[in-house]
Amino acid sequence: MKKLIEFKNIVKDFDGHLVLKGIHLDIYENEFVTLLGPSGCGKTTLLRILGGFLKQNEGQVIFDGEEISNVPPYKRELNTVFQKYALFPHLNVYDNIAFGLKLKKEAKDVIEQKVNRMLKLVGLEEYGKRNITQLSGGQQQRVAIARALVNEPKVLLLDEPLGALDLKLRKEMQVELKRIQQEVGITFIFVTHDQEEALTMSDKIVVMKDGEIVQVGTPIEIYNEPQNAYVATFIGESNIVDGIMKEDYKVVFEDKTFDCVDFGFKPNEEVDVVIRPEDIDIVDEKQGKLRGVVKSTLFKGVHYETIVETKIGTSITVKMEVKKEDPVINEAAKEKISANDFFLDIEDVQNLTPMDIIARSDAQAWNDETDEFVGIPNIVYTIKEEKGSYPVEFSTSKGTKITVNMIVKDENRKINQEYGEEIFAMNFFKKVDDVRESIAIDTDLKTWANASAYDLENGNPVEITDVIYDFDPENIVPGNYTVTFRTQGYEYKIGTTDYHEEGKVVGLDFNPEDLHIMKKMGTN
Amino acid sequence: MNSFSKMAKPYILWAAFFIVFPMLLVMFYAFTQTGGDVAKFSFTLKHFIKFFTEKAFLEVLFLSFRIALITTLLCIIIGYPMAYFISRQDEKIQTLLILLITIPMWINLLVRTYAWIGILQDTGLINTFLESIGLPKIKLIYTDFAVILGMVYNFLPFMVIQIYTSLSKMDKSLLQASEDLGATPFQTFRKVVFPLSIPGVIAGITLVFLPAISTFVIPQFLGGGQYVMLGTLVETQFLKAGEWHFGSAISTIMAVIIIASMYITKKLDKEAGER
Amino acid sequence: MKKIFQKSYIALLLLFCYAPIIYMIVFSFNDSRSLTKFAGFSLRWYNEVLNSNEMMKAIYYTFFIAIVATVVATIVGTITAIGLSKSKKIVRDIVLEVNNLPMLNPDIVTAISLMLLFITVLGSGSKLFGLVTMLLAHIMFCIPYVILSILPKLRQLDSNLAEAALDLGATPWQALMKVIVPQIIPGIISGALVAFTMSVDDFVISYFVTGNGVRNVSIQVYTMSKRVNPSINAISTLMIAIITIVLIIINVIPLLKERRLKSN
Repeated sequence: MKKLIEFKNIVKDFDGHLVLKGIHLDIYENEFVTLLGPSGCGKTTLLRILGGFLKQNEGQVIFDGEEISNVPPYKRELNTVFQKYALFPHLNVYDNIAFGLKLKKEAKDVIEQKVNRMLKLVGLEEYGKRNITQLSGGQQQRVAIARALVNEPKVLLLDEPLGALDLKLRKEMQVELKRIQQEVGITFIFVTHDQEEALTMSDKIVVMKDGEIVQVGTPIEIYNEPQNAYVATFIGESNIVDGIMKEDYKVVFEDKTFDCVDFGFKPNEEVDVVIRPEDIDIVDEKQGKLRGVVKSTLFKGVHYETIVETKIGTSITVKMEVKKEDPVINEAAKEKISANDFFLDIEDVQNLTPMDIIARSDAQAWNDETDEFVGIPNIVYTIKEEKGSYPVEFSTSKGTKITVNMIVKDENRKINQEYGEEIFAMNFFKKVDDVRESIAIDTDLKTWANASAYDLENGNPVEITDVIYDFDPENIVPGNYTVTFRTQGYEYKIGTTDYHEEGKVVGLDFNPEDLHIMKKMGTN
Repeated sequence: MNSFSKMAKPYILWAAFFIVFPMLLVMFYAFTQTGGDVAKFSFTLKHFIKFFTEKAFLEVLFLSFRIALITTLLCIIIGYPMAYFISRQDEKIQTLLILLITIPMWINLLVRTYAWIGILQDTGLINTFLESIGLPKIKLIYTDFAVILGMVYNFLPFMVIQIYTSLSKMDKSLLQASEDLGATPFQTFRKVVFPLSIPGVIAGITLVFLPAISTFVIPQFLGGGQYVMLGTLVETQFLKAGEWHFGSAISTIMAVIIIASMYITKKLDKEAGER
Repeated sequence: MKKIFQKSYIALLLLFCYAPIIYMIVFSFNDSRSLTKFAGFSLRWYNEVLNSNEMMKAIYYTFFIAIVATVVATIVGTITAIGLSKSKKIVRDIVLEVNNLPMLNPDIVTAISLMLLFITVLGSGSKLFGLVTMLLAHIMFCIPYVILSILPKLRQLDSNLAEAALDLGATPWQALMKVIVPQIIPGIISGALVAFTMSVDDFVISYFVTGNGVRNVSIQVYTMSKRVNPSINAISTLMIAIITIVLIIINVIPLLKERRLKSN
C-alpha cells in the first residue's frame, strides 16, 4: 500500500493551551482510519489541520508527497463530512451534491450523471428535488457524504458524523459507511469518541489522549493488546486490578501469584492487570483461581453481567438502638415535640451548631391538629470537649419542651492500610417511626450514623457502597441492631451466559494469556 | 478564516472617522474656549460650571428629567396592560395587533407630532367640539400636558412591543406549572409572569426615557417657543446663539446621562436575569 | 366580561394611535384652510404640493438620499457583519460597542458631532454642505442598524457552512456569494428596510448637517410648521402613502416568489 498522508511532528496550541503535542502519523491509500479519543483529545483539531481550516504551529503535513500546509482548503484533494453536516439550507438535495461540480464548471450532463450516481450510492435516488429541511437526520447524513464523494477526493474526512443520530440509525450508518468506503476505494479518516464505532468500521485505530497518540493498531490489536490501562478502559470494558510483577511471566495480585505471558518489567514493579469481562469464567468455588461472592447479576440482552466480589472493602459496624419513645405532648398549645439522644465525637464538639444538633437529634415539633411542623427556635445546651453526657433542651415558642442527651465519646474509626482508606461511623439512637417511615433507608442510616470514608493519601471522600443490616425496616420493633457500612472492595465484572444467584460463593478462572499486564499510568 | 475577518477592516476605519472622531470633537469643544486669537483654544471647565450654576439651565435640566420620567411611567402604566392583553389573544390576532402598533412608527415623527397641533390648538378639534356642546374652551397646546401627550403618543409603541416580546417569549408551561402548584391566575401573574417580563420593561424604559429626554421636535411643536428642554437648548446654542462650546458641553452632559442610564439599566437587566 | 374589557382597552389605545393620522389624512382633502371644519372634498392642497418647486424637491431629495444611503449602508453593513462574525471576540466587542454609539446617543448629539466634523474637515463655507454632507451622515447612522440586523442571522448559521463550501472547492469569494449571503438575505432585507425608514424619517441630523443646503421633507415640514398650512397634511399623507406602498411591495414580493416556486 502506498503512503498517502504523513503528519510530521504536528504541534498546535490555542491561546497557549497545547492541543496537539507533536503528532506523527502515517495514513495509507484505501485505509479506513479512525481517530479515537474523548472530547478535547485533539482528534478534531488534527482533522481540521488536514482539511486546511486550521494551521499547525509546528510540523508538516505531507499529502501525496507534497507539503500542503500552505495550500488553501479549496485546493486540497480531500473533502469533509462535517459534524452537523453543514448542508446548504437554501439548496435542494441535488444542488447541494452538485455544488462542487458546478464550481469546477463541469458540463451539465456530466454533473447530472455524477450526482445521480452518488444519489444511488447513498440510496437516495428519489430525493434529488427534496428540500434539505424535509430530510431526516440519516438522510441528511447521506447527502453530506454524497456531496463530498461526488468530487472524487483522494481522502474523505468524517468529523463525528454519526453523533447526531439515534442508536439504531447509527448502527445502520456504520455498516453503510464501511460499504461505501469499500465501494469507492478511497481513504476514509473518521473521528469519533465512540469505541464501538471505531472497532466496527476501522482498518486502523489511532487512540488519542491529551494531544498525543497513545496507540495505533488494528481493532483486534487494540482490543487484545491494549498498551496501557487507559486504552483498555477506553476500548471495551475491563477489570483493572493493582498488581506487582514479581519476575517475568509471574504477576501477584490479591496476594496470589499467577502465571502470565508478559515479561520485560522490573522485578517487583507495580503494574495494572487488565482482564476483559468475557475472559473470566465462573466455576465451582473449589476450582477457581480466585474465590468470591456474586454481588449482582444484570441481564444485558444476550448475556449476563455478573459482579463477583473477591474481597470486601473497608467496613465498620455500629450499634443502632431503636426506642419506642412517645413525643412530649403540650395539651395547652396542642403541640407535640420529639427528639432522640445522639453520640458525638470529641472533634465534632468544637464546630457544633444548633443546626447540627437539630439534625443529629432529629428534633421535630408539630401541631397536633393540623400536623404542620412548628419551628424550634430555642435550643439550650452546654457542652465541653470531654467525654460525657450533656443535656440539650429544645422548646418551641409556645413552650413545648423536650430534653435529650448528647453523648460525647471517642471516635469510632477504622483504617484499612491495604486500600489506603479510613472509614468512620457513630452508634446512634432512633425511634421506631423514624426507621419505619424512612423512604431511603440506606441514605438515612448513613446520615444517622454520620458514616463517611476517606482516602488516606489525599483526603478525598470515598463512596460507601454497601449498607448492611439484618432488620426489616418496615416492621422494626424496639431493640438493639447492628449496621455495617462498607466501601467497595475488589470486584470483577464478568460476562456470562448463565445466571448466577446473588450471594452464591463461586470461583473465578482465567488463562495466563488473558491477563494483560500494563505499566502504571499516572492517575489510572 | 482570516480572509473573512479582513472584511470588517474598512468599517473600522470609517467608524473611527465618522463615529469616534466626531464625538471627540464634541468633547474637545466642551472643554475649551476660544481666546482673543481665533486659532487658539484653551482648556476650561467654565461651560460646565455655567450650566450647573445658573438657575435657568438647571430648570431646563429638571424639566427634561421630569417630563421624561412622567412619560416613561405613563408608558409603563398604559403599555403594560396593552402588551399583556395582546399576549392573551389568539396567535393570529396577536400578529395583526402588533403590526397595527408598529405601523405608526414607520411614519415620520415630525408628521405624527404635527397632527396633534391641529387637534390640541385653541381653535383645534377638541376645543371646537367642547364649544359645540356648550362647554368652555380649555388651554391644551403649549402646556406640560400637550408635551407629555405628544411624547407618550410617539414612544408608547416601543414600550408595548418590548413588553409584548418578553411576554410572548415566555414558556407557556411555566404558567401551567404555576397553576399546577396551586397558584391562582392573579398569583401566577404576580409571581411568575411579571418577574419574567421585567427585562422587557427595562428594555422599554431605555427606548422611551432616552429619546424623551433629548427630543426637541415635540416640545417645540406642542410646548411652544418658550418651552425649553435639553434638546431645544442645544439647538439654540448651535443654530441661534452660535455658542458652540457651551452647546457641546450640554451635549456632553446629555451623552453622559444617556450612557450612565444605559449602564444602570443593563445592570438592572442582568440582576433581573439572575434572579 | 374580562375579555370584553381587554378588547375595548386594546381598541381604545389603537384608536389613540391612529386618530391623529386619520385626522391628518382626512383634512388633507379639505376644501378650506380650516383644521376643524370639513368644507368638502378637494385636492387643492395636493395641487399646491405638486406645484410647489420647494416641496417637490424635498420629496425628491428625501428619497434620493434614502435610496443611496440604504444601498451603501446595506453593502457596507453586510460586508462588515460577515467580517465581524469571523473576527476575534475582542475586536468584535469593541467594534459593536462603537457601532452602538450612534444608536444610543441622542440624535441631537450625533447631529452636532457630525456638524462639527464637517465644519472642521470641510471648512464652514464649503459647497459640499447639503447633499454630500447629508448623504454621508445618513450612511453613517444607517450602517449600525444594518449590522445589527444581520449579525444574529450569521450567528444562527452552522459555523461549518463556509468551511463546507471551501472544502468543496469554492474560493472564499464564491463561498461568500453562493453560501453565506443567500442564508442571510432576510437579515439584509430587514436591515435595508430599517435603514431606509431611518433615513426617510430623519429630521434632527439632516437639519444640522445640511447647513443652508438642500431640504428633505422633514426639514420642509419643520420650516412650514411655523404657520398653519394644510399642505403639510397633504405632503404628510403623500409620504405615508409612499411608505405604505414600499412596505407592501417588500412584504408581498417574497410571497409571490414562494407561490411561483410552489407552482413550479
